[in-house]
Amino acid sequence: MANEQQQIRGQRMAATFKAALPIMLGYIVLGLPAGILCHTAGMSVLQTFLLTACMYSGAGQYMVPNMLLAGSPVGAVMASVALVNTRQMLYASSLAPFFKGVGKGLSTLFAGTVTDESFGVNLFHLEVGNWTPWQATGVNLFSFATWVASVTAGAVIGSSVSIPTAIASFAMTSIFICLLASQRFNASKAVAGLAAAAGVIACKLLGVGGVAIFAGAVFGIVVGMLMPLRNSTDQHQGDAAASPRKGDER
Amino acid sequence: MAWSTFWIIAAVCAGSIFAFRTVPLLLLANRELPQGLARALDFVPVCAFAALVTNDLFNPVTFAAGIWPAVMPLIAALAVVAVAVKTKSLALCIVVGVGVYALLMLVL
Repeated sequence: MANEQQQIRGQRMAATFKAALPIMLGYIVLGLPAGILCHTAGMSVLQTFLLTACMYSGAGQYMVPNMLLAGSPVGAVMASVALVNTRQMLYASSLAPFFKGVGKGLSTLFAGTVTDESFGVNLFHLEVGNWTPWQATGVNLFSFATWVASVTAGAVIGSSVSIPTAIASFAMTSIFICLLASQRFNASKAVAGLAAAAGVIACKLLGVGGVAIFAGAVFGIVVGMLMPLRNSTDQHQGDAAASPRKGDER
Repeated sequence: MAWSTFWIIAAVCAGSIFAFRTVPLLLLANRELPQGLARALDFVPVCAFAALVTNDLFNPVTFAAGIWPAVMPLIAALAVVAVAVKTKSLALCIVVGVGVYALLMLVL
């Protein structure tokens, strides 16, 4: 009995690691240049490590050194980092139903370590089912540890190596594209997604790129809500798209 | 960097992000969501990822630099879409995406 439980625990741990692996790969690629940038902006290895571990934000980790190098005032740096992370509120709300009855401690640990990427991966597994809150938290913690280690390693390497940030950040773009393509689409969701994209473009053209992701996503949600409530075609298409995913073990 | 400046930045950034991440989940986890809110949350993944992808691919600065720098990421993105639809593998998408993007950037 105990053996069986141990086996299940081992299998769950392995599945969790496997789910986190692509995120970890992406974070290694993107974390190194972020650490190098922090070094360039005059942050020590210890400061870089502390900043990464405290705020755990990819966009923030690039924004802080970039803005400091550009001579921005500290207040503007903090406001920009906060603004670009407003989208985190959407992820936390969206995952709330899966944390019904889960203890405050675990819920906080989980919610505190959600990122764009781990949100997408965990949502996929939580919707398929058979994914425990501990496993979801495990994906977050594997990703978190990798990010902190990678950024710190970048700070240690310093400017002796140069990694083109544009290429490295395309790892994240690729993850987002894959997560978007894996969503179950119906007519309302397709329209909502297009509206979100249009919202982002509008924000950037208006020069308010800092809020582009959050404002664009919220605009998309509002447009989606205005669409007629689930007609039969929506429901049907949704189901058809959902069925092949059920058995898909990533 | 001076430690005083560092701590102000680190504390404010970390505090605001932590609040954005945890407060909504802790508030919403143990109550029945009104139907409207539940429906709105259903749109979150599609809208968030559409916004993130667009934010990465659309950059007014590269448009100003000419057609090629603006189109190049779109070509790499199309390759990723093909891999994503065919395999649904995140790892493969990263490899193909970064590979095609690097190739386009270095070769042309």
